[in-house]
Amino acid sequence: MRKKPEEYLTGNLCAMIDVVFQLIIFFVCTTQLQDQSKDETIRLALAPHGVVVDKKDPLEITVDVNIKGVISIGRTPLSPDLLTRILKKAVKDSRQPVPVVIRGDFDTRHKSVKDVMDACAKAQIWKIKFAALREKA
Amino acid sequence: MARKRRRADWHAGELNLTAMIDLAFQLLSFFIITAHPSDVISQLNVFRPSPEQVRKDSDLPDQMIKIQLLVDGAAINDRPVNTKALGSLLQTLAKDDKKQTVLIICEGESQHGRLIEVLDLCAKVGLTNLSVLSAAVGGH
Repeated sequence: MRKKPEEYLTGNLCAMIDVVFQLIIFFVCTTQLQDQSKDETIRLALAPHGVVVDKKDPLEITVDVNIKGVISIGRTPLSPDLLTRILKKAVKDSRQPVPVVIRGDFDTRHKSVKDVMDACAKAQIWKIKFAALREKA
Repeated sequence: MARKRRRADWHAGELNLTAMIDLAFQLLSFFIITAHPSDVISQLNVFRPSPEQVRKDSDLPDQMIKIQLLVDGAAINDRPVNTKALGSLLQTLAKDDKKQTVLIICEGESQHGRLIEVLDLCAKVGLTNLSVLSAAVGGH
């Protein structure tokens, strides 16, 4: 018996479709969209013995300081005075110490980081964290 | 004849999945292209002494490690050292008391990465009472 033309082209695709959907689920679960707010040009220094961040504190403010000394939060450049006002408002709104994480480039001069630390001091924030790389991907 | 044609054309439960499979492959391609391995981030906690605390603790603690980060090097308790020697010195000092105060004084032009290295060395040997100060620039 001669096969119909369409029978030559069909095959059992069920297994392949299952694998495709599993791959999609994997990538949907592992895609991280929230990190796009951070400045990707900042190269963090290596600190293999630092504390690994498991859970992000919702009150946490991440301040980026790039190699040129530009201070920013969420890719928005800020002056030290504006940063001070933002931190003061955050402390006033939350009524508790706000954790501040400073993400500085390896080659950033300390005087730029000092501006951020001084802004934290003016906002009565004495506990500061420095972000570093525990492991390079 | 018409009845036979209808039976021949009717297939139970058939659904055209071509469009759905196309979309599935497009989604898969998108996620493969945009996926990238993320770095593992760690944090190093420091404490910046408030002016009130500095006034209150007018006497410096007996056991305090002072690390100075200069533009071209580092010094521990006013003694110039390199990074390797700094690590072994901190290990020796940490054996006495892990809770002693470590004061890190950074010059304005020193690299931020070197501060992270020193903080990492302190974390490695178990020193947790860390304070970071900035060296006076131009006398103010």
